[in-house]
Amino acid sequence: MATRRQFVVALGGTVAAVAARAAHAQQGAEAPGATMEGDGYVPVRRLPRPAAAKRLTPLERDAVERNLACPCPCTLDVFTCRTSMPCGFSPRLHADVVQLADGGYSADEIMAAFEQAYGEKILMAPHKQGFNWVGWIAPFAAVGGGAFAAGALIRRWGRRAAERRATSPVPIQASDDELARLEAAIRSDDP
Amino acid sequence: MILLGELSLWVALLMATWSATVSFAGGRMSRSDLVASGERSMYASVAFVALSSIGLWTALITSDFSLRFVASYTSANLPTVYKFSAFWGGQAGSMLFWCLILSLYSALTLVANRRRNRELMPYVTGTLATILVFFLGTTAFSANPYARLDWIPPDGTGLNPQLQNPGMAFHPPNLYLGYVATSVPFAFAIAALVTRRLDAEWLAAVRRWSLVSWLFLTIGITMGMWWAYVELGWGGYWAWDPVENASLLPWLTGTAFLHSIMIQEKRGMLRKWNVTLVVATFLLSILGTFITRSGVIESVHSFAQSPVGSYFAAFLVTAIAVTGFLVATRLRDLEARAELESMVSREAAFLYNNVVLVGIAFSVLWGTLFPIISEAVRGSKITVGPPFFNTVNIPLGLLLLALTGVGPLIAWRRASVANLKRQFAVPVAGGLFLGTALFALGMRDGYALVSYTLAGFVFTTIGQEFVKGVNARRRMHDEPVPVAFVRLIARNRRRYGGYIVHFGVVVLFAAFAGLAFKKEYDLSLTPGASFSAVDPYNRTWTFTSQGVSRYEELNRQVTAVVLEAKRAGMAPTLIKSEKRQHVDSRGQPTFEPSTEVGILESLRQDVYLVLHGVSGDDRETAEIRITFNPLVWWVWYGGIIMALGGLIVMWPQATRGGARRRAEGGYVVVMQPSERRPAEAPEPPVEAGV
Repeated sequence: MATRRQFVVALGGTVAAVAARAAHAQQGAEAPGATMEGDGYVPVRRLPRPAAAKRLTPLERDAVERNLACPCPCTLDVFTCRTSMPCGFSPRLHADVVQLADGGYSADEIMAAFEQAYGEKILMAPHKQGFNWVGWIAPFAAVGGGAFAAGALIRRWGRRAAERRATSPVPIQASDDELARLEAAIRSDDP
Repeated sequence: MILLGELSLWVALLMATWSATVSFAGGRMSRSDLVASGERSMYASVAFVALSSIGLWTALITSDFSLRFVASYTSANLPTVYKFSAFWGGQAGSMLFWCLILSLYSALTLVANRRRNRELMPYVTGTLATILVFFLGTTAFSANPYARLDWIPPDGTGLNPQLQNPGMAFHPPNLYLGYVATSVPFAFAIAALVTRRLDAEWLAAVRRWSLVSWLFLTIGITMGMWWAYVELGWGGYWAWDPVENASLLPWLTGTAFLHSIMIQEKRGMLRKWNVTLVVATFLLSILGTFITRSGVIESVHSFAQSPVGSYFAAFLVTAIAVTGFLVATRLRDLEARAELESMVSREAAFLYNNVVLVGIAFSVLWGTLFPIISEAVRGSKITVGPPFFNTVNIPLGLLLLALTGVGPLIAWRRASVANLKRQFAVPVAGGLFLGTALFALGMRDGYALVSYTLAGFVFTTIGQEFVKGVNARRRMHDEPVPVAFVRLIARNRRRYGGYIVHFGVVVLFAAFAGLAFKKEYDLSLTPGASFSAVDPYNRTWTFTSQGVSRYEELNRQVTAVVLEAKRAGMAPTLIKSEKRQHVDSRGQPTFEPSTEVGILESLRQDVYLVLHGVSGDDRETAEIRITFNPLVWWVWYGGIIMALGGLIVMWPQATRGGARRRAEGGYVVVMQPSERRPAEAPEPPVEAGV
């Protein structure tokens, strides 16, 4: 069994590793080769594929934009933000999507290009992989766990109630509070 | 008046501090003079907070730009109504507004409990005064609306154009009324915990306040959705923005409490859980305020990052620690007096309803905070947007909808198989009939089909309950149907008001499901050009541009496009959308351009027009988006119905002869006051519904 000292050392080491990883990741948040403009906009450009025919329909292109988060504080996707918000980002991101779509890139390739430039933050929802699974599963786990706990509690209470009924010789037409008061009154009469 | 207002703020802070101190001391030492002094100083705080608020309103209306707040949120040419509503348009004013509501609620609580709950009141007053001290202190020291500028500008910056909407005159006050009302049940919970008087007494006192909070939050959230829809121009009403989520959290836990309180009232159970819900609802309203004001999470609603955030964080931590300690040291006092007997009982259905409501609250909070957690663990930022919230919350929401229908159909304590068959037969048939009919008509969206099937089930459940109730009255009193219907509700407001709330929920879910069929079109139209589009009902519309026009209004330059909308069977109608550039009194642009959407409304769908710009050499080509939004109006109707149901539930019911006789779920509990012993006062009987 680990001593308290070993536990403290291990805990410290874990915290240090997480902190170091966080610091490293923050330093490397910007994709290699990406040129960020003053306001945080990163152009996402690729050379058109030779003799590329347009692969994406306008609806498919819109679907791509719906999965890209606008970097402005609107918390909306690029498709929604660009028509409604006074936003300096979404029209430029839209232009980049159009350019890539016209250049023959598929939806997945466009998403990957944006993710490479901005990081995972550009996606409207995190990938279902690694630590992100915690985010996706936790709500269902919480409700499932809560329902299981409630069920177990009700079963336990039900068993106790059944035992009480079994020891009660006559059916009693009284509420629990009335029974509790009766019990208290009997106790107080005890010598 | 402004000097008086500023001075009043500081005096109110002193009065509230005195009130908190002597109220707790009076309660602890059983000194009625100190308790009375605490209450009087609370009334004085109300007067001084009111004076301070009047001072700020005076400065706003008279455009006193020597105040930083007035110069930052108004301009000389701002319409008066928006000068008035600018009070809550910025950080400092909204903090004072919070203080105003809290002090008024505190005074109402004291007045309502002049002769009731006297053992609890010193601690109730003390807790409310402590919360008021926090808000007044934060306002005075960190977000003072009376802070002066070094120089007086000729004009102010003006109010954000998106806040210049009638919705903003009502949406924030309603939300604040809801948030702040959670303070009163919290104060009673603290008082009950401190005094260990954890019987039915404190619950009776907090139930109505919990309903007040729930009602205002419902109205505030619905108005917020309406404002987002008509003003922001993105074609939707709920974006899972962190601040929207923050308003939903206390609503969810408050709704859970309003259901679980019935189990405690009826069976003396779930006492720990109810205290936890009351405390959690208050803390979540504070957390929501912290999220809005700290800048810790990005949101379109967020106020600029300010030191207020750290004040809120400290308050939150202290409140959690204090209530955690109180609950932990009173666990034995919170033991249940009875136990659930069966999985198939109304109590169990309510318990599962609570699990789902709190589960949804957890998932919303989790999704809101997960970007921070992820960044702390992995070091990389992520976005948690609508795809996450919809994936997680749609199934949970549907489960909740199903439970809304199940609860009223099951008997209290234990339901027999015969009872279940009798109760469920018609509602299940109703739900299946609607689902099958919609499938036969071509509906193929899975979630929408499940949603409408469940909506049919719950609607039939509610209808069945009303039909049974009305028939019973007709048999017993020989009343005509309308009279029996009205009296059924009037004589049993909690039960049938609750069903009306449930009906509002059904309407809301039906409207939400309509979003699955939304259709959008992006287009460029030169003057006279037409575009044909097919709506979700497969009807073809033709939109013809009437051209782009430019003109000036009071405080803005407007670029507008007008479209003529036509479809078979409907007279041609004009829809206009505007792009507005707001200007100050010198004609200088203020803020980024904003959008004013054009909406052609109907019960079936809205045709939603947004002008997002003009292009072409002559700037006459309108770049627009047309959206067909099915069933949107039913969202507002659903909210109105829920609020109406809440009002019915809240409305005081006269009792005859002191004894409250209420038949419930197959058995009757009657308590005569003479039977009650103070230390063992039984939980009063209650009814179903909210």
